[in-house]
Amino acid sequence: METTMKAYAFLGLIVLATFAVDVSALSVTVNDVECVYEYVLYEGDTVSGNFVVVDHDIFWSSDHPGIDFIVSSPGGNVVQTMKGTSGEKFEFKAPRSGMYQFCFHNPYSTPETVSFYIHVGHIPNEHDLAKDEHLDPVNVKIAELREALESVTAEQKYLKARDARHRHTNESTHKRVIFYTIAEYILLAVASGLQVVYIRRLFSKSVAYNRV
Amino acid sequence: MAEKLLLLMLLVVWLHKGESVWLNIPKSGNKCVTEEIHNNVVVVGDYVVISDDHLHPTPTISSKVTSPYGNILHHKENVTHGQFAFTSSESGQYLTCFWSDHPGEGGSLSVNIDWKIGIAAKDWESVARKEKIEGVELELRKLEGAVEAIRDNLIYLKTRESEMRGVSETTNSRVAWYSIISLGICILASCAQLWYLTRFFQKKKLI
Repeated sequence: METTMKAYAFLGLIVLATFAVDVSALSVTVNDVECVYEYVLYEGDTVSGNFVVVDHDIFWSSDHPGIDFIVSSPGGNVVQTMKGTSGEKFEFKAPRSGMYQFCFHNPYSTPETVSFYIHVGHIPNEHDLAKDEHLDPVNVKIAELREALESVTAEQKYLKARDARHRHTNESTHKRVIFYTIAEYILLAVASGLQVVYIRRLFSKSVAYNRV
Repeated sequence: MAEKLLLLMLLVVWLHKGESVWLNIPKSGNKCVTEEIHNNVVVVGDYVVISDDHLHPTPTISSKVTSPYGNILHHKENVTHGQFAFTSSESGQYLTCFWSDHPGEGGSLSVNIDWKIGIAAKDWESVARKEKIEGVELELRKLEGAVEAIRDNLIYLKTRESEMRGVSETTNSRVAWYSIISLGICILASCAQLWYLTRFFQKKKLI
């Protein structure tokens, strides 16, 4: 009996201590379909996150308008769908506990790199408080505070990924400006040179004799 | 009863200790994740392999962690679990790859990656032991650490934004300059053409 009590206390402490630990924003390369799985421990937990398509070596923006994002619950139902997007935040309340599947679909042939971040947040409610006597109301407030700070951190990660994508576009524009203007100057000089050569040939002696 | 409880505890600790993601390792080829990490950041990683078809013994995998300049920070073969910890000395993309040791056989494999950087990698247990704090005070310390991490991240974002703004403004001024020069070259080319052709026709006595 005493060991069971001790075990429950230890369990309570561990469960409390490990709510909302952070994982950082990982990137995967999506060729066709890439799926990431995350385990939701409690029903009613808020699952939040974001993803940004980072690598973008495309020429026109119509080459690759975006990827599709589908979240499936452990029962197979689709919880959320986002189509043709290049970066989005999402949040939903988990209807049941279990392994959730987050899939990225790339409908085009060019592989894309997606940076994603998923967070499962749990705030102990009255039911948990009643079950475990070592949890007191201040822990609920601390959990809420932690979740609020966590949402700020998640927002920052999203901003960082968007900033990385913007920086990529900027540097590409910078390189394109230099390369394409130099190419334009050379082509202009070559075109006018070719025009002069052609006109010279038109008025050269051999042609003139045949005409006149 | 006690063993079941212990198993449940271990499961909770293992699943919940880091908010880890599960990835599927393809039968052939490898599965890689990358992250952009800047200089002087503590990185802690932990991975476990599970066979989806519940094969025994669990098929083994190999893993490799590479720094942006190509240095191999962690390399292990024929394992079902492993961990690594390092402090980043280069800023850039860190690549972690997993592949199956016996491609083709071994069924479907899933790997659980627990990847923590910066403030999340801090060992709070040792801090609690050293300073003899526990419970609510420890939680508040963790929140304080989180707030400091938020502030550091904001400063980093600000620096990156100012660099990018510099590049944008350079591009902006260059577009203007190069377009004017392009107009100048156009006029120059046509004047050169006219001058040359006038001289040419005058020499040919056509004008």
